[in-house]
Amino acid sequence: MEYAIQTENLVKKYGNGFTALDGVSLRIRKGEVVGYVGPNGAGKTTTIKILTGLIKPSSGHAYVNGIDVTARPREALRTIGALIEVPGVYDYLTPHEMLTYFGRVYRMSGQEIDRRIKETLELVRLSDWEHKKIGTFSTGMQRRLIIAKAILHKPDNLILDEPVLGLDPKGIRDVRELIRQFRDEGMTVFLSSHLLGEVAEVCNTVVFLNKGRVVSLDSIENIGRNMGQGVVDVKFLRPLSREETEKLKAIELVRSVDVKDYTARLHYDGKPVSAVQILRRLVSSNFDVVSYNLEGSGLEDYYISVMSEEKGAN
Amino acid sequence: MEIRTESIRNDAFETYLSVKFELMKHLKRRRLFIVAALAVIVPLIFYVKVPDTADVFAATALSFVNVLIVISAAMFAGDAVCGEFEKKTSLLLFPTPQRRSAIFTGKYIAALLATFLVVLLYYLTMTLQIAQLYGWGQIPTELAKSWLTALIYSAAAVSVVFLFSSLLKRSMSSTIVGFLFLMMILPVVAMILMRVNQEPWFIVTYSANLIPDVLGISSSLPGGGEQYSALSNFKPNFGVGIGVMVAYAIVGLVSGIAMAVRKED
Repeated sequence: MEYAIQTENLVKKYGNGFTALDGVSLRIRKGEVVGYVGPNGAGKTTTIKILTGLIKPSSGHAYVNGIDVTARPREALRTIGALIEVPGVYDYLTPHEMLTYFGRVYRMSGQEIDRRIKETLELVRLSDWEHKKIGTFSTGMQRRLIIAKAILHKPDNLILDEPVLGLDPKGIRDVRELIRQFRDEGMTVFLSSHLLGEVAEVCNTVVFLNKGRVVSLDSIENIGRNMGQGVVDVKFLRPLSREETEKLKAIELVRSVDVKDYTARLHYDGKPVSAVQILRRLVSSNFDVVSYNLEGSGLEDYYISVMSEEKGAN
Repeated sequence: MEIRTESIRNDAFETYLSVKFELMKHLKRRRLFIVAALAVIVPLIFYVKVPDTADVFAATALSFVNVLIVISAAMFAGDAVCGEFEKKTSLLLFPTPQRRSAIFTGKYIAALLATFLVVLLYYLTMTLQIAQLYGWGQIPTELAKSWLTALIYSAAAVSVVFLFSSLLKRSMSSTIVGFLFLMMILPVVAMILMRVNQEPWFIVTYSANLIPDVLGISSSLPGGGEQYSALSNFKPNFGVGIGVMVAYAIVGLVSGIAMAVRKED
């Protein structure tokens, strides 16, 4: 089977003796949205830099669509769109000038470049800024522009390394919304992040990395099931009365409830089907629900348990 | 064989794209405009005291060419490599389907073309001035030889600064170090050698004196051949001088690209 992204026993050692990656093997299927999580210094960015040809592994192999990135970088990188760390921008250029250059690099025709520039800038909500200097953009706008550059050539695989780093809440929401769109379009997304809420919201699989080694790889659903816990934040139209709080607690699938003014945090078994049933019960019980957000609490607990086990083992 | 041809074709195309992109960047940052303006304005200074003959005027004006080439090389090649790493645009530029060697070769060629353009503008302005002051028939034919020599020195100067850009981490450092290396360090070493009666034939800035020396007249301006001839009777041999410039150009370029390709974030 050809995987969208695959690494085999990837090792990266630096000159000072530091081992950033210690035998990382990953297999990511096409169309999967994978969260790559771990503490700072776990090796997330190193993996991504190898996958995008920025650095070479000390040993092992990295493949994209079955193509070895080190042996045939040109072919491999044609199928990748990437946002790595917080890249700089050519602030004296306009998005049109910058994207035209990258379009040519991806061997797109002039017409195709113009069309895709319009499409991608519209997607990232920068259409009105196509001919304005990038130096005048906010951090969030620059990040959205870099995402536009990453998807300009319609890559099969999108590799995002901490895409919301340094962004304000609105910027974070915008980027998250974009990732959801890419997921819905069937793109393979490899998302490195240490923000578990973000990963829980957009990914279907999570890889936990620590000290250069993969410590766990599982679907969000399985993680929630294994932890036997999930959290949903519900916002109501009015503050809840004592009677309504009791009604909430009485819902069969709800394990416990924390109420504060207009909001309630419901703890349940973490299964998606249970979350749906709870929502149905709320509506049928005439609660005026304003918002209903699944939180990555299960993932957080799992992360802590996995990392603690690692620490214990060491 | 076919794969190899395809690979060469890809490299050539990527280099061409990089040259175009770099030249656009030089234009957008107004660097090209500033140095080109300098190339046109500086010869006008020589109107202040117009010599009696066209040859003396040309010799005086040519004494500034070396300085202009070094300024141009520092401006266009100073941040060619380290600028991408320092500003983190490397994270945008490198994860794309193109060879790094092609990107950097393109950057070198762009810096060279920009310097060539500046040199061309300077010689054009100077030639027009001579024609206006002394008549078209008075334009020294040796100017063509001087111009070609200036182009070869441009390649050497751009290569030296490009090498510093690959070696150092900051654009400002590589620009200043490259400029000082060609404007001060190498000339001082050459002078010291001449003081001990050794010809500094292997020093590229000594060879660069071929540019104003083609007319066989020494200029009184600093930076001209005068400063060396005042110390000794050494004059660079044309063949050796050109050879030294070409050697600096090739060694600087090849080692600069080799280091740039290996550079990691």
